[in-house]
Amino acid sequence: MAQVEKRGGLLRKSSAYKKPLKEKVVLMYDEIFMTEDPSKCSPRFWEELFLMKVNLEYLEGKLESLDGEELMKIKENINCLFQHCIQALGEEHPIRVVNALQTLCALIRGVHQKNKSTSGFDIINMLMGFDKAELCMKNLMESLDSLLCAEGSESLKSLCLKLLLCLVTVTDNISQNTILEYVMINSIFEAILQILSHPPSRREHGYDAVVLLALLVNYRKYESVNPYIVKLSIVDDEATLNGMGLVIAQALSEYNRQYKDKEEEHQGGFFSALTNMVGSMFIADAHEKISVQTNEAILLALYEAVHLNRNFITVLAQSHPEMGLVTTPVSPAPATPATPLGTTPPSSDVISSVELPLDADVQTSNLLITFLKYSSIVMQDTKDEHRLHSGKLCLIILTCIAEDQYANAFLHDDNMNFRVNLHRMPMRHRKKAADKNLPCRPLVCAVLDLMVEFIVTHMMKEFPMDLYVRCIQVVHKLLCYQKKCRVRLHYTWRELWSALINLLKFLMSNETVLLAKHNIFTLALMIVNLFNMFITYGDTFLPTPSSYDELYYEIIRMHQSFDNLYSMVLRLSTNAGQWKEAASKVTHALVNIRAIINHFNPKIESYAAVNHISQLSEEQVLEVVRANYDTLTLKLQDGLDQYERYSEQHKEAAFFKELVRSISTNVRRNLAFHTLSQEVLLKEFSTIS
Amino acid sequence: MRGGKPCLEARSLAVAMGDTVVEPAPLKPTSEPTPGPSGNNGGSLLSVITEGVGELSVIDPEVAQKACQEVLEKVKLLHGGVAISSRGTPLELVNGDGVDSEIRCLDDPPSQIREEEDEMGATVASGTAKGARRRRQNNSAKQSWLLRLFESKLFDISMAISYLYNSKEPGVQAYIGNRLFCFRNEDVDFYLPQLLNMYIHMDEDVGDAIKPYIVHRCRQSINFSLQCALLLGAYSSDMHISTQRHSRGTKLRKLILSDELKPAHRKRELPSLSPAPDTGLSPSKRTHQRSKSDATASISLSSNLKRTASNPKVENEDEPVRLAPEREFIKSLMAIGKRLATLPTKEQKTQRLISELSLLNHKLPARVWLPTAAFDHHVVRVPHTQAVVLNSKDKAPYLIYVEVLECENFDTTNVPARIPENRIRSTRSVENLPECGITHEQRAGSFSTVPNYDNDDEAWSVDDIGELQVELPEVHTNSCDNISQFSVDSITSQESKEPVFIAAGDIRRRLSEQLAHTPTAFKRDPEDPSAVALKEPWQEKVRRIREGSPYGHLPNWRLLSVIVKCGDDLRQELLAFQVLKQLQSIWEQERVPLWIKPYKILVISADSGMIEPVVNAVSIHQVKKQSQLSLLDYFLQEHGSYTTEAFLSAQRNFVQSCAGYCLVCYLLQVKDRHNGNILLDAEGHIIHIDFGFILSSSPRNLGFETSAFKLTTEFVDVMGGLDGDMFNYYKMLMLQGLIAARKHMDKVVQIVEIMQQGSQLPCFHGSSTIRNLKERFHMSMTEEQLQLLVEQMVDGSMRSITTKLYDGFQYLTNGIM
Repeated sequence: MAQVEKRGGLLRKSSAYKKPLKEKVVLMYDEIFMTEDPSKCSPRFWEELFLMKVNLEYLEGKLESLDGEELMKIKENINCLFQHCIQALGEEHPIRVVNALQTLCALIRGVHQKNKSTSGFDIINMLMGFDKAELCMKNLMESLDSLLCAEGSESLKSLCLKLLLCLVTVTDNISQNTILEYVMINSIFEAILQILSHPPSRREHGYDAVVLLALLVNYRKYESVNPYIVKLSIVDDEATLNGMGLVIAQALSEYNRQYKDKEEEHQGGFFSALTNMVGSMFIADAHEKISVQTNEAILLALYEAVHLNRNFITVLAQSHPEMGLVTTPVSPAPATPATPLGTTPPSSDVISSVELPLDADVQTSNLLITFLKYSSIVMQDTKDEHRLHSGKLCLIILTCIAEDQYANAFLHDDNMNFRVNLHRMPMRHRKKAADKNLPCRPLVCAVLDLMVEFIVTHMMKEFPMDLYVRCIQVVHKLLCYQKKCRVRLHYTWRELWSALINLLKFLMSNETVLLAKHNIFTLALMIVNLFNMFITYGDTFLPTPSSYDELYYEIIRMHQSFDNLYSMVLRLSTNAGQWKEAASKVTHALVNIRAIINHFNPKIESYAAVNHISQLSEEQVLEVVRANYDTLTLKLQDGLDQYERYSEQHKEAAFFKELVRSISTNVRRNLAFHTLSQEVLLKEFSTIS
Repeated sequence: MRGGKPCLEARSLAVAMGDTVVEPAPLKPTSEPTPGPSGNNGGSLLSVITEGVGELSVIDPEVAQKACQEVLEKVKLLHGGVAISSRGTPLELVNGDGVDSEIRCLDDPPSQIREEEDEMGATVASGTAKGARRRRQNNSAKQSWLLRLFESKLFDISMAISYLYNSKEPGVQAYIGNRLFCFRNEDVDFYLPQLLNMYIHMDEDVGDAIKPYIVHRCRQSINFSLQCALLLGAYSSDMHISTQRHSRGTKLRKLILSDELKPAHRKRELPSLSPAPDTGLSPSKRTHQRSKSDATASISLSSNLKRTASNPKVENEDEPVRLAPEREFIKSLMAIGKRLATLPTKEQKTQRLISELSLLNHKLPARVWLPTAAFDHHVVRVPHTQAVVLNSKDKAPYLIYVEVLECENFDTTNVPARIPENRIRSTRSVENLPECGITHEQRAGSFSTVPNYDNDDEAWSVDDIGELQVELPEVHTNSCDNISQFSVDSITSQESKEPVFIAAGDIRRRLSEQLAHTPTAFKRDPEDPSAVALKEPWQEKVRRIREGSPYGHLPNWRLLSVIVKCGDDLRQELLAFQVLKQLQSIWEQERVPLWIKPYKILVISADSGMIEPVVNAVSIHQVKKQSQLSLLDYFLQEHGSYTTEAFLSAQRNFVQSCAGYCLVCYLLQVKDRHNGNILLDAEGHIIHIDFGFILSSSPRNLGFETSAFKLTTEFVDVMGGLDGDMFNYYKMLMLQGLIAARKHMDKVVQIVEIMQQGSQLPCFHGSSTIRNLKERFHMSMTEEQLQLLVEQMVDGSMRSITTKLYDGFQYLTNGIM
């Protein structure tokens, strides 16, 4: 306990004993760790204890050092301490409350670290005793609730949230944390909502509150009725939902900002002199540094809000001009390496820095735009597991958004035009698009851009099949909406078409490698069916007649790829192999594309022959196409505009369990009590008393 | 022609006397003793009477002259009597609150009055009952002529205003002040700017005469209170702060704003009667703290604009000052305009506008209304995404659409409860699109299938689909039935059923047809965001916004629009509106088919206001820029070829409106006539907007635009060329319009003249504004001379290179085509 000793020494600078004096509080802890009741000899023991500055490290360390049996021996005293902590929460003097809160944290953590293998029930017994547990927890939750809702000190509230986060993340698997049963029964949901709806408290504690809520929602999500899920799904108070959206938007945009800063740092340096190749390698390296910080907790909160709460969708489009209105002097927040992320919000300074003074360059933004930008950064690189998770979660959120009627309405709203600067991976064969020249377009264009960007940049050996499937699904769902509502989006569909064809090409050229791991036919089928959507329903959503011609041109131009695909799926569907059925579906789906190719290719050849042209220009091909539509008959395939709705319960459960586990670990690791140093609190409360 | 010329001349003379123009006066009564104020008074009295006579058109000029002299003599005697009696009357009105309700209208029994002169005193407005009785005692025999006039059916508000303005007799003024109560509210409302300007800038007696009426109306209507308060503020702004008069206008304004004029017996429906759609889905009571949202903090909407939906009790307990919510509403709209002006690009302005308005939405519904609307209503929502920034170089006027719920009475009806933005989803309730989407069967039906040719091409029109997804879930059950007939599980089961074939050519054809059938929409242009919004047909827009609104299902839902102008003085616009409105009614009365479109103006202060936008209209600049066509070709594109009914009626509309506005431009000397200031509506009418330069003011005095009005060859082309019948019709309309306007010149001039009082507006610059205005009516010309004049003006405008030059100048400086 070197650190403890050092602290003790620091406290008494004047006396430099060889054997350092123990703090009074440490002595008192030691008494608790005796089997005897400490209040026996000094009746005011408990009262005094909560006046002492808590020594977290000592208490936690001591608890950890005891094994199960030793702990059982002092169970009575620990129960007593726990109960007195809860009692102290009701005390008037905030110092006692602070100390009690910190002691509770230490207790919970200490007991858990020791009992990793033991069941949750043992821990409850250890902390409170079975007989009193229910009452104990009820009191605790009620105290926390009233502390959080009272007009009290902000740091006190912060500590309450920290305690709750500590309680929630104390096990790796949140669903095994049996104490949370009591948190379910004694809901603090309303307190969390109040924090979010109240701007000052939201600014201070919004981040912790949102993370806490996201975690609580994930407690035994699939096994039992979680009241937090039920409650979250029916919240319709706009102020609360907006508050939640703001917290998420701020956290995500803070990430975007940090990323941009880093990117500029690298570009500004001598690397600019290096070739693109090397540069891109290095930047990729830099990304990994940032990638550690992807904020899965906040992303999970966004997901839960979008997925569970129908009303939250409106928040996505809610713009936040006040970010530009509030004129706060911007002090560039120093990077806080001590708290990379996790539970500590990116410091209040950083949050206010989002609220830039009135500035012409500051675009009014909304949560969706921020999220799209964030996604574009996260999706750039999916190599490590965290980023893969984040990327996947981004795509899942986008799937939910693409299925929602209201979200689609504003995504396609012609009046809501935005300039969304998506981050694009620097690649050898393309230049980085100039940001300034982006046109202002409906938001759905940005979503489609993001999907196209993903498609072109992830054709790699470690093929992210799952992400590709989700990506194509998002596009498909958007197209279904456009077809149904006859939205004629002025989008350069050609980019999407050529990206899809390139993806098909990639699938075929890596057939053997990919087939070993994935069923590439589902993906191929989805891609082909996207083309079928355009071919048979193009009249309902394409912007111009010439865009329909262009579609044919693109198919004819790239007919080799479709021919190859056809021969591959034909080969596999005639073999009695594993892929027979899957491949034969693709052969059926290809019928119209093949009809187009077979219909127009001879016509184009004969046109070339008649006019003695070896290489037809695009305009000439289009002319042939336009002249020969009428003799082409297509087969109407049904189900093209049907899709399976997203469902978390069965397919995604494993992913979310894993995700929540990693978030829990992360949050726990970053729970930093010392950020709330006692000195700050002392200062604050000395003036109160 | 009903009105005789001599009468008109007499009137012109009489008014001219007020303007101190010395003219040979054939009708001037020689017996007039003093040329001072009383003479003036007599003159105007004369004019009023002759007008009445003229309209009756029974009496020939000679008889009229005699009658006039008779009247003048009697007036002289009357003056004494009225002057005595008038002292007490205004005071009585001000003090006695109960008087208002007792006032009876005199318009009903005028014939009776004439028959029984003895009773006359008693039937005079009861507020002046005492005075009238005294009057009767003193002059019962001598007063008959003037009173006869005042009480005759012919004595309209226009005459009353003119009498009030021209008469220097306190008694007459007081009488008119009382007489105001007898006119229809709408009629007096038209002259509200004049009344208030007189109240502010003329002497005390006029003010005292007007005040009771204003106070009375303020008690009745909150909208009237607001208008008065705003106008009083705006028209006082040109004065010196120290002047006594100034404090009079300001005092009245303060009185109105202070809420003392709140009706005493105002009852509001019990809150429990109002439906409460906010039925507590929210799990927590704590969350009902909407007023503390961020929006409140950032936008300076004070707590006055407290939302009452979630908690109607709040409003009843501490009811805010009556006008406070509305003033806050206006203030926040103006604040948005100011903030927008600081942004450099249109695009940024638009985005900012949308987000600012979305915040404003958090405060709605509230006890606020749009003063430009013609019916009582509460504002419930601003569909923020529809708002657009208008074209302006350095200011940021913007157009917003406002959803309102019409109500019986603004004061007594409760503010509608808030319906959350997302609640629309529950009414739509078609979340499961894929299950209910268009199925194979329907698709086949809509296509002309190859094996079984089906003519049912339009079965799946755009409208159907719109309804389908928004309103009618029942249709979906039908389509679901269809699904059950055919297996949706397509590909594997495909072999089992007949494959459906479609022709690629049909798809392509349908695509081009559908695009052709949609009305020509403008392309989105970030530099001109309003073009698209304005081009969209109003009905279409209403339907679209209604579908997207959580309040759209309510039967009393209405959509309004308003242009918010910040940093512009709309007082001239208001003046122009009044003149246009007057001309419109004159032409209507005289059955001249000239078409003009006065648009409502709300003056908020000397540098801000609101304008009611002209719907279904875009500027000619936008038309030309977007279509890249000549105006004629655009007409052909929009309405069809030369011989079609649609084109011909559009052309007729164009001609009628063109003639109307040419006259307006000539009479008012409207300048700055570039194509950005001339709108073209969907029916072919042109509408001039922006009356920033009228009468004595012109832009930068560069000497451009010397022609009488703007008539370009392009306009003439639309009319069918210089030799066409329509062009002759155009000139004929102008002549008829000018003759009609001339006949009622006083009604027009009066509006302008009164507003000149105490005004620093540039349109009144110089001393000859009114004289020049009158000269443009050419009272002395014969109809043949007038015809020649019209010919000359048309000719001059056609040949005028200044019009073309000015357009070129505008193109160079402002990019306006």
